[in-house]
Amino acid sequence: MTAVTGETPTTGSGLLGQPLDIREDPQLLRGEATYVGDIDLPGTAHMAILGSPVAHAKILSIETKAAEQLPGVLKVATAADFTDVMPLPCIWIPGGVESHFPPHPYGLPGARPVLTGDAVRHVGDPIAVVVAETPRQAHAALAAISVEYEPLSVVTRADEALAEGAPQLHEAVPGNLNAYWTCGDKDRTDAAIAEAEVTVELDLVNQRTINSPIEPRGAVGDYNAVTGEYTLYASTQGPHNHRFLLSALVLGIPFNKLRVIAPTVGGSFGTKGYLYPDMPLVLLLSKALGRPVKWVDTRTGLMNSTVQGRDHRQHVTLAGTRDGRITAVRATSYANLGAYPSTIGPGVATALMGRSISGMYDIPAAFCEVYAAFTNTVSLGAQRGSGRAEAAFLMERLVDRYASEIGMDPAAVRRKNLVPKEKFPYDNGLGWTYDSGNYQLNFDKAIALSGYADMAARKAEARTRGKRLGVGLATYVAICGVGPSTRMSQEGMLGGTWESANIRVHPTGEVSVTVGSASTGQSHGTVFAQVAADELGIDPDTVQVFEGDTQKAPYGQGTYGSRSYSMAAPAVALTARKIKAKLVRAGAVFLGVPEDKVVYEGGKVHEEGNEENSKTFAELAMAMWYGWGLPPEIEPALDETTHFDPPDFNYPFGTHVAVVEVDELTGETEVVAYTAVDDAGNIGNPKIVHGQIEGSIVHGLGQALMEIAEYAEDGQLISSDLNHYALPRAADVPFFVLDKTVTPSPHNPLGAKGAGEIATVPPAAAVVNAVVDALSDLGVRHIDMPLTPEKVWRRLRGEAR
Amino acid sequence: MNVNGRSEQFPAQPNELLVERLRDGLGLTGTKVGCDTGQCGSCVVRLDGKSVKSCLILTVSAAGSEVTTIEGVTTPGGELTGLQEALREEHGTQCGFCTPGMVMALGELVDSTAGGEAPTEPEIREWLTGNLCRCTGYHSVVRGVQRACEAARQEV
Repeated sequence: MTAVTGETPTTGSGLLGQPLDIREDPQLLRGEATYVGDIDLPGTAHMAILGSPVAHAKILSIETKAAEQLPGVLKVATAADFTDVMPLPCIWIPGGVESHFPPHPYGLPGARPVLTGDAVRHVGDPIAVVVAETPRQAHAALAAISVEYEPLSVVTRADEALAEGAPQLHEAVPGNLNAYWTCGDKDRTDAAIAEAEVTVELDLVNQRTINSPIEPRGAVGDYNAVTGEYTLYASTQGPHNHRFLLSALVLGIPFNKLRVIAPTVGGSFGTKGYLYPDMPLVLLLSKALGRPVKWVDTRTGLMNSTVQGRDHRQHVTLAGTRDGRITAVRATSYANLGAYPSTIGPGVATALMGRSISGMYDIPAAFCEVYAAFTNTVSLGAQRGSGRAEAAFLMERLVDRYASEIGMDPAAVRRKNLVPKEKFPYDNGLGWTYDSGNYQLNFDKAIALSGYADMAARKAEARTRGKRLGVGLATYVAICGVGPSTRMSQEGMLGGTWESANIRVHPTGEVSVTVGSASTGQSHGTVFAQVAADELGIDPDTVQVFEGDTQKAPYGQGTYGSRSYSMAAPAVALTARKIKAKLVRAGAVFLGVPEDKVVYEGGKVHEEGNEENSKTFAELAMAMWYGWGLPPEIEPALDETTHFDPPDFNYPFGTHVAVVEVDELTGETEVVAYTAVDDAGNIGNPKIVHGQIEGSIVHGLGQALMEIAEYAEDGQLISSDLNHYALPRAADVPFFVLDKTVTPSPHNPLGAKGAGEIATVPPAAAVVNAVVDALSDLGVRHIDMPLTPEKVWRRLRGEAR
Repeated sequence: MNVNGRSEQFPAQPNELLVERLRDGLGLTGTKVGCDTGQCGSCVVRLDGKSVKSCLILTVSAAGSEVTTIEGVTTPGGELTGLQEALREEHGTQCGFCTPGMVMALGELVDSTAGGEAPTEPEIREWLTGNLCRCTGYHSVVRGVQRACEAARQEV
C-alpha cells in the first residue's frame, strides 16, 4: 500500500491490473439481462419500417390506405406526416467549409430525413412505418403499402460516383463529392518519391464490411402526456449523445424533457453510436398514439440500414532507399460514404484513416488525400478499429511490397524504420503526436514469441503436406482516447468529447459510481468499481457502478474508439481523489491534528506516526453524513463529480504475426498460428482486455478471409443476411499467443491507453501479407480481401488478379 | 408442451415459431433472436434434451415435447451450473447476447462427456460452429468448455 498525504494523492492500492472476476457474467450466463428487445412496457404497440426495395429512384406516389385497414394496424405514416421534424444531422465535418452535404434546415452541414419522401437512395432507405398491435401485424401491413417509383441509375463505388456522368444522389452535392480532404506535406512527399532510389505502388480495395453485432438494433419510445417527457430505450453506445442530437437538433424539444436509457446492449463495435431514423420515429409515434411504441430490427434490416465499415479504394506509394530506409509514403483514397452522411461517418473515412497511415514508422515525408463520395449504398460509419485498420492495412502491405522489391527481410525493414524510443512525443507529420512508445521492445518481443526465425524450416515441412506456409507481419499505432475537446473541434467534431464521473459515498460506507459512458459488453461495472476501490483503498464489492440512463448519470459521450478506460475511468479516479482529499481535510478535524499530519492509507485516515488515532472509510462516511462539528469551509457529505478532458489523444500500438497454411489443391487458407503483442498502457482488468484482444483479432481475421458487403450493379446488397455474409466461427481460428508491453500514457492519471478494438487494426494486413508470402514464388504481389478459397485457388493456378 | 418442467397449454398458430412462443407467449426472454435464419444460434434451446435453434422450429412441431430454456437451467439469481461457472471463470462472455444460446448448445456437449472421454479442442470448436459470437473470438468460451468437460468427466 502506498501512503497518500495532504491534497496530492497519487497512487492506488494495487487493485488495478488484477484479473478480478467479471461481476456482469453470472447475470449474462443465466440469461437474465434485459436487452431492448426484452423490454415489455404495458400497452406497447409495435413498429415496422418499410425500406426501399430499389437502390435509386424517384418516389412518384405512396398509397397507404390498404395497409391502414388491415387487422391490428394503428397507424401508417410517411414523410408527409413528419414535415416539422428536422433531418438527422452529421456532426463530424472533416473538410470544414469545403464539404458538401445534403442541406439541413438548422444550417448544419449534413442530413438524412427520418423518412424519405422525394427519392430513395439505397436499398433499405426508410419510406414508411406501420404501427400495429403485434410485430407480425406490423410487418404484414408493410406489404400492403404501394409505392410508385421512377427508376434512376445506380452507383455503388466511390471512384465511379465521382466520374463524369455518374448518377447524382443529392442536388446540393454536385458530382457526389462530399469532401476532398488532405493531411501531411504533399510537395515534400512528391519530391521524396521523385528522388527515391526505390518506389513501390499498390492498388488496394479495403472492402466494405458489416459490423454485425449479434443483437440487432432496437428502440422503444414512451411519451408521457402528463409530464410531456419522452423516454427512449435504445441499443445505443452513447445515450447522452443521442439525447443531445435528438432533443436539440431533431425533435426540437427541451433537453430535460428527453430521457435516453441504454439497457444491456448486445455488442456494437461502432455501429450503435449513430443516430438512426427509428429513434425519433418511436418517440413521435408514441406521442401520436398515446402508447409506448417498440421497434426491433431483423438481421436483414440491420444489414440494410445500420452503418457499414471500411470501403476505400486506394492507390498507395512508398519510397525508400536500397538498404531499407523508408523515405516517403503517399496515399490517394476514394472513400464510400454511402447514400447519406451518417452521424460521424465522414470523419471516420478521412481523419481517423489519413492521419494514421505512417503507423509505427519514422517517415520523413507523408501525405494522404481522400475523396469522400456519396453512392447508392448504406451509410458508412465506424467499425471496430475504424480508420486505423484501413491505415495499417495500406502501410503494412506497402512495407512488405518494399521489402520484396529490395530483397530484404520484411522484419528487418520494419525494425529499421520504427520510431525510436527517444523521439517521443513524436509528431508523425500527418496530424497526430504520439504520446509514448517503446516500439523496438514491442516488435522484438513479437518476433521472438512467434518463432519467426524458424519459418523457413516450417515452410519446407508444410510443402511435404501439400500446404504452402506463409508468414505475415503487421505493426500498428491506433489513436484512442477520443478525445481532447479542443483538438476534436479542430477535426470538425460538433460536440464536447469529454467524459464525467460522479462518486457518492453513502452513510453506510458503500459507494455509488455513476459515469456518462455506457457499456456494450465491456464490463464497465467491474472495472470502474475496481478503479474507485483502488483509489479509495476499499473493497470493490462495496462499490456499485451505474451508467446508461441520462436522467441519472452525468454527461459523457459514451463508448467508442476504445475510450472508456482512458476517458471515463480517469474521471472515476480523479473523483475518488477529490473524495480522498476531502477526507484528509475532514480527517484533520476528526483526528484533532493539522491537515499535513493526516495520512490517507488503505481505506483509513490516521495521524502521521500514530496509526491508533484513525478513522475507517465507513466511519468517515457516516461522520460526513452527520456533518456534526465540521467547520464552515468543509461541506457535509461525500459527493463529487469530475469532467475529464485530456490534453491529447493516446496511442496504443503493437505487432502481430500471422502464420497461414494455404492448401495447394483447394486454395483454402488456414490461420495456423497467431502471435499478438499489444501495448495498451496500464491495464485495469486484464481479464477484460484479454477477451477484447482475442475478439478483436478474430474480427480482423474475418475481414481478411471471409467478410464482404457485396453490392450488385443495381445496388442490391447480396450479403444481406448471415447466410450470405460470412462471420468467423469457432472452428475458423486457432488459439492465439498473446503478450503485451506496457508503456503508460502521460495523458491521463491512470497511464491508460485504448484497448477494446486495437487488436482489430493489424490482423487483416498480417494475414494478407502471410498469404502473399505463401504465394510469392508464383509471382503473386497482392490479393484483394477477402481471401476466399476460390480467389486464392485461381491465383495458385496462375490466373491474373 | 412441457417447458422447464411446467406444463404449458395454449392454442398455437400454425405459423408460429417456437422462439416467438417462448419469448412473446411465455415471457421467457432469455432466449434471444439474432438473425432470423438459423445462423447465429442465439435462440438455441433443448428439445427433449437435444439442442435446437428455436427460430427454425414451429411451435406445433414441438407439441408434447420437453423444452428447456436458459431459464430452466438455473433459478433466478441462483447457483450457476458447472458449465456456467467454468464460462464465468474464463470470462467466456462479453455483451452476453449470444451467451444463453451457447450455454444451451454447449450444455449438451458437456452432459455427453460425463464419465467418458473429454472432447478435443477441435471437437469443441466444431460443436460451437452453430453459435456466432462477435465479442470474444470464442477462445474464452472454448477454454470454459474444456474446463467444464474436465470437471464433468472427473465427477462420474
